[in-house]
Amino acid sequence: MDDERGIATVSDAAFLEVQRLLNREAALLDRRDYAAWFDLLTEDVKYVVTARVSRPAETGPLDYAIIDEDADTLRLRVLQIGDPKLTRAENPPTLTRRFVSNLEVEAAGPPNDYAAHTNLLVYRQRGTAPDGDFYAGRRRDLLRRDRGSLRIADRLVRLDHNVLFDGSLSIVL
Amino acid sequence: MNDVTSIANGDPWVDTANGTVSREIFVSEDVFCLELDRIFHRLWIFLAHETEIPNRGDYVVRTMGRVPVIVVREASGEVRVLLNSCRHRGTKLCRGEAGNARHFVCPYHGWSYALDGGLISTSYDEHLPADMDKADWGLVPAPKVESYKGLVFAAWDPGVSQLRDYLGDIAWYLDTLFWRTPGGMEVLAPPHRWRARANWKIGSLNFIGDGQHVATTHAGPSTLNRLHSKKAGFFVRGGESFQVVTDEGHGCTLTYLAPGMPEGNYLTHPPALRDAYAEVLSARQISMMHHLRVMVGNVFPNLSFIENQVALGEKAVLIRQWQPISGTETEVLSWVLAEREASAEYKDRALKHGFHNFGAGGVFEQDDLELWASATQASDNPIAQRFPFSFHSSLPFDSAPIENARGPGRAYKPSNTEVAQLAFMRRWDAAMQPGD
Repeated sequence: MDDERGIATVSDAAFLEVQRLLNREAALLDRRDYAAWFDLLTEDVKYVVTARVSRPAETGPLDYAIIDEDADTLRLRVLQIGDPKLTRAENPPTLTRRFVSNLEVEAAGPPNDYAAHTNLLVYRQRGTAPDGDFYAGRRRDLLRRDRGSLRIADRLVRLDHNVLFDGSLSIVL
Repeated sequence: MNDVTSIANGDPWVDTANGTVSREIFVSEDVFCLELDRIFHRLWIFLAHETEIPNRGDYVVRTMGRVPVIVVREASGEVRVLLNSCRHRGTKLCRGEAGNARHFVCPYHGWSYALDGGLISTSYDEHLPADMDKADWGLVPAPKVESYKGLVFAAWDPGVSQLRDYLGDIAWYLDTLFWRTPGGMEVLAPPHRWRARANWKIGSLNFIGDGQHVATTHAGPSTLNRLHSKKAGFFVRGGESFQVVTDEGHGCTLTYLAPGMPEGNYLTHPPALRDAYAEVLSARQISMMHHLRVMVGNVFPNLSFIENQVALGEKAVLIRQWQPISGTETEVLSWVLAEREASAEYKDRALKHGFHNFGAGGVFEQDDLELWASATQASDNPIAQRFPFSFHSSLPFDSAPIENARGPGRAYKPSNTEVAQLAFMRRWDAAMQPGD
């Protein structure tokens, strides 16, 4: 399900439901409303971010995890960046604007569970720096019906980065 | 007073008598160029771990100061370090970060080289003059390449001492991290790489002995892990701690569990591995490891290492390198390792713990990086540079080492003074002298 071969189309209603969820999620993260954001996740959520080793085309690309969290460690990470007393990197808060696009949705597992593939571009501006930075990547979310709503159960963000540009990744992608 | 002094105002760069260090050396491009000359293009520089290139033809591409190199395992199994630049017009032979090659072929005009760097063909050998000896036109090899316990180093000065001699007493501590089972350690994933908008020395100083920054900079993970551990019924409390300084400006900080704590730390190593430690390490080394909560240190100039236990059982061995880009920019590389004999499940856990805390998205790292960048920005002007950094909290302790009951090297208490940092700066200052 990580690759996107043979993505089966889903109904327009399903597509819109997924799009609505991901747009709402992006807005919550841009507003740093982590409590509301957590409510969009399943209780056993997984969150993985990878970067890429630049290798010859003949050898093929190699992605490796730079973040690999389960629900517990993801909560610790977010408690840190969400609490002004506990973070230096995010206080003053960085400004972020997430662009989630090129959505493709496929049916996954039980009825009404989906895999959503999106492009992600995040603009981020820190402190008084004159210009901002971008994170870019392809996202694959497994979405599951849980407690009556569609929620994010498993996120894989494949960053199109080799060397991360500025320090350590201190936001959720 | 040293021969080499501040370019801006004539003050010494490192004033050990008064416990001050010039800000200029943390931002100046002139100082940076001199560092390349006197440190990075001369002394032993860490490049890679042997297990990154296990097979014939495996290579990784790294940098020593400004010098791009290929670290390759050649046919004989030896590791070679070759200048990553064609002898013809200078094009890089390897333009990615890693791979496997049978030989290196320049994409520009087709010069080809064997894995040991020897020139095979220029593609137009028939046009060469009869007296051109191809043996003189191989890829430029680093004259000194040696490994210690899986850690590969190279130097561009053929006159450097043997690596083992250069490491001196710090090797005893490195053994306990990098070769504590018969199989040695293995790198679990490619190194994380990120840019820091700060001078490389800030990283080395932070790892060699900066106990003072933990509570403030890392209030986040410190507080959250305490709550987290309490919930789990175990709170990892620190006890005895001290700094160790060895010759050549290497050093480390050791922190033990508080008395009365469960034997959590040592016992979180898998039992099969614990038994194997005794096959490789001395009784004294094993006794040093027992109850050790954190060991963090630096090999001069820019190789740092840490084994940390943040919460119970969450332990990982990391290599960290501060690769200088300019006076105000550093590329950071971070590897997570585990014992080769460890189970796949243990390795997976170590990898996750390792980079949750210290990596391109590390919860410790992110706060350090932002503060180092701000110190760099604020110091990058002539007014700030009239006012040196304070290393004063080294002074009352610097001349009073305690008996080091645990291992070799000069030990100092308490661990949260700046003695080891001053020792690093003293070594740096000596390396920067024209005659050193």
